[in-house]
Amino acid sequence: MILQIDQLSAGYIKGSQVLDGLDLSVAKGEFIALLGRNGMGKTTLMRAIVGQLKPSAGKIRFAGNDITGAAPYKAARAGIGYVPQGREIFADFTVEENLRMGLLGKPGLGALVPDWPYEIFPILKERRHQRAGTMSGGQQQQLAIMRALLGQPELLILDEPSEGIQPSIVHDIGIALRDYAKEHGLTILLVEQNLDLVSLLGHHALFMENGSIVERVDDMDRLQNDAALIARYLSV
Amino acid sequence: MLLRLPILLSLAFGLLLLLAPLALDDWRLSQLAQLLTYGIFALSLSFIWGQVGILCFGQAIFFGTGAYVMALVTLGKLPWLGESQILGLLLATLAAGGVAFILGLFLFGGRGITGAHLAVVTLCAAVVIEIATGRWGFVGGYNGLRGVPPLTTPWPRDDIYLSGLETYFLIFAVLAAVYFLLLWLTRTPFGTLLAAIRSNEERTRFLGFDVTMAKLFAFFLSGMVAGLAGGLFAAQFGFVSPQLIGFALSTEVLIWVAVGGRGVLLAAVAGALLVRWGEDQLSDQIGQYWLLATGLLFIVIVVIAPRGLFGRILDLSPHRKS
Amino acid sequence: MDIVVLIGLDAFSYVLTLLLVTLGLVIIYGMMNVINMAHGELFMLGAYTVATLLASGVPFWICLLAAPIVVGLAGLLVEEFVIRHVYGRPIDTILATWGLSIAIKQMIIIVFGPAAVSIANPVPGSVNLMGVDYPAYRLVIMALAAALALATYLVIYRSTTGLQIRAVISNRAMAGSLGVNTRRMDRATFAVGSALAGVAGAIMSPMISVDPQMGVGFLIPAFLSVLVGGLNSLIGAVIGAGTIGGTTSILSANMAQADAQIIVFLLAIMIIRFVPQGLWKGFR
Repeated sequence: MILQIDQLSAGYIKGSQVLDGLDLSVAKGEFIALLGRNGMGKTTLMRAIVGQLKPSAGKIRFAGNDITGAAPYKAARAGIGYVPQGREIFADFTVEENLRMGLLGKPGLGALVPDWPYEIFPILKERRHQRAGTMSGGQQQQLAIMRALLGQPELLILDEPSEGIQPSIVHDIGIALRDYAKEHGLTILLVEQNLDLVSLLGHHALFMENGSIVERVDDMDRLQNDAALIARYLSV
Repeated sequence: MLLRLPILLSLAFGLLLLLAPLALDDWRLSQLAQLLTYGIFALSLSFIWGQVGILCFGQAIFFGTGAYVMALVTLGKLPWLGESQILGLLLATLAAGGVAFILGLFLFGGRGITGAHLAVVTLCAAVVIEIATGRWGFVGGYNGLRGVPPLTTPWPRDDIYLSGLETYFLIFAVLAAVYFLLLWLTRTPFGTLLAAIRSNEERTRFLGFDVTMAKLFAFFLSGMVAGLAGGLFAAQFGFVSPQLIGFALSTEVLIWVAVGGRGVLLAAVAGALLVRWGEDQLSDQIGQYWLLATGLLFIVIVVIAPRGLFGRILDLSPHRKS
Repeated sequence: MDIVVLIGLDAFSYVLTLLLVTLGLVIIYGMMNVINMAHGELFMLGAYTVATLLASGVPFWICLLAAPIVVGLAGLLVEEFVIRHVYGRPIDTILATWGLSIAIKQMIIIVFGPAAVSIANPVPGSVNLMGVDYPAYRLVIMALAAALALATYLVIYRSTTGLQIRAVISNRAMAGSLGVNTRRMDRATFAVGSALAGVAGAIMSPMISVDPQMGVGFLIPAFLSVLVGGLNSLIGAVIGAGTIGGTTSILSANMAQADAQIIVFLLAIMIIRFVPQGLWKGFR
């Protein structure tokens, strides 16, 4: 298991837990999609894994190391790449500076952006000297993903990458990411509502409800066909 | 429990002050009376900072205004007003309140400023007023005004000047009155509104309360209390100078209140007594170390114990969750 | 004409030294939201470092190099023992650093006594500049201050470290999740900001009275510069220091210094009150 979470509890206000004794394990090279309605704790779980939120109880192990409550930079250097909800690119930086930020925090990766990110998403090359904040949502998402991949993570965490982006572009991003991940043995943990992207990037689907994982689906066809499943966990 | 520990301790503190004359000679008693005046001053800051959450770095502006007005009136510099002490104190209180009201309008009116901006603006205002006072010949300029008459009885008698004991009890009574007034105020609905502003100003505003007016009134009241303390101080000390109105004293009172415990009125008084007492009692040499220790203590309190030395043990608010 | 040149030079030299102090404040505030009231005392420590080393026979220019190192180390200690415990509590940073300023001042009084220390001018004499004789060392101050301000600008906007610093300023959590060691960045930024104050104090030390109360005299104008120019921006710092320093110098030439100070402070209070985001952001 590359990521092993045991009995994790976390929340924003003392005494009120968003995550409540959550267990999760992800094997290397697996694509896991995490589904559930809003407010069930998906983003909280992601933030706890990357160290932006200190858990109140439980353990998070990554690639054999205990990273429970470690500072974000330690989680990042251990090999976790994070593409947060809302992308959080540095709007005032140029595209290239954003990409360099993917390298600078990791010792040994230098400071020069190689060519391969630009080959995967050519628009980034075209816009490399433009301020990132002026780009469209889809382009910013490509930038955020590449910024994370440049740090050569073993696990990539994506939180709602399709949010606010045209479906056709979401599809293209999904294919590019799937190809890259397969080629590099990257593990993906994806929080998503868009079932197209889930079927592209998910081998397994986990359903989250009230701060814990309640169901695991290995047969991804069920996501398309099992109306009862969708109704239970996803419809509002 | 009918009498909780903080209530007992608060009563004991009051009783200790009441019985202090039994143990002190005249000179020490007059020193303690001055400390109590500082205690009134500390109350004014504790109210505006601890209860309303406004960190004012210029509280001495109001104290100094009170002191100067008292001095000007009782020295007869404003001849058309006469030289009455009662009038002096009254005007000292009102003038300081007026200054606070005007400054408050400037700070809170319109969109207003808060936090760091407010702290720096009040700090600069104190510096400006201190320099300006030093440049103003009518109020004695840099040298200040000397010979402010000591407190007297308002009615005629053989020796109209109050004895040390009488002065002490007068100041004690004023301190107690101001304390109970402010304590009562924190328990009225208005006090609840102030507490709401302290905990979340924006939300209180959205709920439809006139936050600006409430802050303005609290600031006005705090200014009046500081002015009253300043007026009493001028008469006790016999001398007013630009230092009383400026930056240094403003930050000193901040330290007393923080060390004592900003959230609890009586704790602020205790803080003022303790810190000032240390400064006054210790000789110059050790005094430097005392100041150093005060600075370090202040840091420690801000960082790890925001309730101060006495904030917990003198907290009278009912049923506060720990 | 001569008087104009003279006032211009005085204003320029004051603005540049004020800028050095202001830059440190701005970097520290921008990076960690810490309002450092002890900055004036760090400035003072720079001056006292020079005084101490000079007294034991170290040449002035070496003292000048030592000051930022000593004060930078002091900054590291301060960050470790005080500042890092109040991150995220802006009002408490004001108070805690105010306590620090008192403590440092008292330590200086205990060690060096309350009286002023005098430091000999290392470059006596004057230079004829555009028709006026101007003290040579003041020109040195200007050159050093300008060079340091430029260097700071280049580090922040042209180096990879600067890129990381700006990333932390703009989004601390995200920078961390990209692997930037935010803890080390905080430490380094506080140390560098302190060192800038220290070097400013060292450079100015032969020209001003070096005494335990000197910090406040620089802290307040520097603070006003930061707020007038706009928190969080180096260009704002330049505008702020220019406004405060320039007005002070020009007014001081025409009236008593105290009166000039009153006018400048009132002007600054007005700007802070009515343009709280600062001149740089306020009018853009």
